[in-house]
Amino acid sequence: MSPIRRLWNVMRRNQLDDELRREVDTHLALIEDEERAGGASEGVARRHARERFGSTLVHREQALDTVIMTSVESAWKETVFAARRLLRSPAFSLAAVLTLALAIGANAAIFGVVERVLLNPLPYPDSDRLIDLDHGSQLLNLPSGMGITRGYYYQYLERAHRLEGIALYASGAETITGDGEPQRIRVTRATTSLAAVMRVWPEVGRWFTEDEGKPGGPARAVLSHGLWMRRYGGDPRIVGRSITLSGVQADVIGVMPASFAFPDARVEAWLPQQITRSMGFGIWLYAAVARMRDGVSVEDVRSELNPLIADIENAFPGDPFAIGNSRNIKTTSTARTLKEATVGEIARALWMVLASVGLVLLVACANIANLFLVRSEARQREVGVRLALGAGRAGIARYFIAESVLLSLAGGAAGLALAWGAVRLLVSAGPATLPRLGEIRLDGLAVAYTFLLSVVSAVAFGAIPLWHGAPLGATLNEGGRGNTTSRERHRVRRLLMGAQVAMALVLLIASGLMIRSFQKLRDVDPGFNPASALAFSVALPTATYPSRVSAVAAHRQILDRLSALPGVNAASASTCLPLSGGCFGNTLLVRGRPQSPNSTSPPARFQAVAGGYFETMGIRLLRGRTITRGDVERGELIAVISEALARRLFPGEEPIGQYLLSNAPPRADGTIGAGPLEIVGVVADTPVQTLAESPVSQLYMPMSIAGGPEFPATALVGPDVSNINFVVRSSIAPAALTSAVRAAVDAVDPQLAIARVTTLQAIVDRASAQMAFTMVMIAIAAIVALLLGIVGIYGVMSYIVSQRTSEIGVRLALGAEPRSVEAMILRQGGAVAVAGATIGVMVALASSRLIASLLYGITPRDPSVFVGTTLMLLIVSALACWLPARRAARLSPLDALRAD
Amino acid sequence: MPKHSNDRLQGTLDLLILKLLDRSGPLHGYGLAQRIHQATADSLRIEEGSLYPALQRMTHEKWLKAQWGTTDTGRKARFYTVTAAGRKQLEEEERRWVTLTEAVNRALRFA
Repeated sequence: MSPIRRLWNVMRRNQLDDELRREVDTHLALIEDEERAGGASEGVARRHARERFGSTLVHREQALDTVIMTSVESAWKETVFAARRLLRSPAFSLAAVLTLALAIGANAAIFGVVERVLLNPLPYPDSDRLIDLDHGSQLLNLPSGMGITRGYYYQYLERAHRLEGIALYASGAETITGDGEPQRIRVTRATTSLAAVMRVWPEVGRWFTEDEGKPGGPARAVLSHGLWMRRYGGDPRIVGRSITLSGVQADVIGVMPASFAFPDARVEAWLPQQITRSMGFGIWLYAAVARMRDGVSVEDVRSELNPLIADIENAFPGDPFAIGNSRNIKTTSTARTLKEATVGEIARALWMVLASVGLVLLVACANIANLFLVRSEARQREVGVRLALGAGRAGIARYFIAESVLLSLAGGAAGLALAWGAVRLLVSAGPATLPRLGEIRLDGLAVAYTFLLSVVSAVAFGAIPLWHGAPLGATLNEGGRGNTTSRERHRVRRLLMGAQVAMALVLLIASGLMIRSFQKLRDVDPGFNPASALAFSVALPTATYPSRVSAVAAHRQILDRLSALPGVNAASASTCLPLSGGCFGNTLLVRGRPQSPNSTSPPARFQAVAGGYFETMGIRLLRGRTITRGDVERGELIAVISEALARRLFPGEEPIGQYLLSNAPPRADGTIGAGPLEIVGVVADTPVQTLAESPVSQLYMPMSIAGGPEFPATALVGPDVSNINFVVRSSIAPAALTSAVRAAVDAVDPQLAIARVTTLQAIVDRASAQMAFTMVMIAIAAIVALLLGIVGIYGVMSYIVSQRTSEIGVRLALGAEPRSVEAMILRQGGAVAVAGATIGVMVALASSRLIASLLYGITPRDPSVFVGTTLMLLIVSALACWLPARRAARLSPLDALRAD
Repeated sequence: MPKHSNDRLQGTLDLLILKLLDRSGPLHGYGLAQRIHQATADSLRIEEGSLYPALQRMTHEKWLKAQWGTTDTGRKARFYTVTAAGRKQLEEEERRWVTLTEAVNRALRFA
């Protein structure tokens, strides 16, 4: 009877019970009919019926048991016997269960991460229809990441039919005051279409109306679930309360559900983006998300948007920004799915890690298959007896499969426990770039996956011994030596050993490449000194600090107090710290240099800095001078540029003394953007976004001549100095300064909140965190595979030696040198290891393309890594072979001959 | 799968059920009990309820086929018929029975 049929019977227990009960009732009724027909009274008839039938209930149970037990019994018995057999060899069972637990646990944990982060990263309805409406420009050497302008947004809104809805948004920091401590929170200003595009609506209250998204509309705010809970204790009457954001009152109208984390999990509140088409084309201040219509692909969307981009001058006739973008930038749509935009980068790393732990599971299965081979041979006689007594092949197969299934289920259960712990560890230590990190847990799907892995492993390592060389055809008198079946089994064993070596080497090479990349990344000169420096940011509310002058004055007061703190050597400030992204950017013109239509002006990142910024950060000065406190106080129209910008604008020329203009349409008074600014110095490059990026052109200007709250963003004067980052270099541990720093800011204005308190070192560490994560995961997989591989080689070689003990005894008795016996065994093991390593190297070479995107600074075929890891593996393998070989050589011939 | 072939008592009951059903066609449990009483002239007293475990088991072994139907008196009952496998089993049981009884007879004669 098939197992499925058995299961069916067990499930049918109730139905069976019911049928039998009805059948028995009929029987009793028929006896009663008969008795009554014979003249018995009702009561007597019933009693007689009971007597003749016997005890109904007892029989019913018996009948049921007969059916169910005969079906389940044999399977259960086989399982119990298998469990007993396994318990009788605890070393074998423990080794197998631990190996499996390790491998299955690693797979389950990584699967948990992959499932949450990659398979389902966006918790929005039909999230596969959502796209990120990004743009890029080949001319500016910005392949993507430019975001969007108002002009393109309105152009698409009016004319793109392949999009169902578009929402424009921009995120920034605001200080929330009242109801407790002032606090910096991340706020996203979005067009009122956002909720409809995402198809997520507030869990409490309502979303913005269209009117609230018009300029001059009432101030409204929708809070995140997290902010509502944390700051307002989940107040059920939150709707209608008023909050103060950077000095501006806004009424809370709703709270979004906890799962809504758009554009990212740090956003605490949403405000309406109050814009209209009549405000003009504008500049690249925004990002946009859109929902594609059904049946439309991202490629379809791009091919619809690109002609609309080309036609932008007609949509905004005479708008200088539209003209500038159309003629000088040559924008193209780089729309991509929101999923790709969110997890594209981490996806490759995670798939690689999942593949790595998959290989580890294969190595583990190969190991256990080997153990099983040994075990099945040891029990050849037992199996022979079973065969002689008439057990079929299927019965013998069941005998082995019961063991492997039990082992792998135990391993799977232990693995699940391990995975549970590992997932907690991953959540606390994983890089912040993992979206939905906090939500990662082992759910039903992960448990099902673990179960599936267990069953597949059971079949894998249970079937190999059965398939090849299991003693299915064994007879009672077979000695098991020198015959073809045992030679076949040795062959299988060597094959498994070679496969282990190959897989372990593939993982070793991958981890070697990751480690070298990580080293290279850590060796990147960040261009500044990250040691012993604290950084934090402050945002000045416009209500209290309405102008650039008032903002600069506040910064100067804070800097004075910071410099006076004990242990502080230097303090300065910048609108944009290295490796933190989000800097103001614009293209530049060199004064006196004619503009040709074919060479566009290069884009640069702008930073407004306080005096002494380069000294405080430890950014090397290469030429000229730095920006001093005096320059800031006098508002000198000067600039310091980065090496990359100097190379780009002035190859082979002296940059000092040249004048730069930022590329902006002329204002009413005839002035253009910032400047002209005189270049007074050139400093070393610092990374803007990532350590791996190629140097980005940067321009530093005194904060007193940059942008401020009174300048519209389209004036393109420079970064708004209301939001600034302070840097404090200290002779004491920077973290110890935090409270003193907070007090210094408080003393200037208690309504200011300091945010993003971190050390420069932490900023650098964070920049390599994702690679560190991938490296550590793959390295752990490689080490586990190596250990399992070594155990596998050692086990196989030991077994081969023990099987050949008598042969070795004969050789030694006939005068063979122990050394030559040792060499013989080593040669045998070595040949398998070398063959395995060769295959491993070939596989690694063939799959090098897969890992290339994860590497930095080395090629995926880096010879030193390949040679180093291969040598290491061969040496370790040789050692694992040598121990059994030495034991063979040290055998006394007499003992060896007696052994059989 | 245990076949209970060496359990004589059970084997006897199986043989009896198979033989009677094979001869009479579809019968329900009560009818079968009646036939056993008639056939053995009440010399083999069995608890009628003990038929059911045997019927269940034999159905499960696919020797018998069970189908719901209506009795002459209009009651719902399960009717059992012998299958092809059941007929083969019957031949087997009969052969064994003959062998066994012959052996017993011979032993008794010599005793």
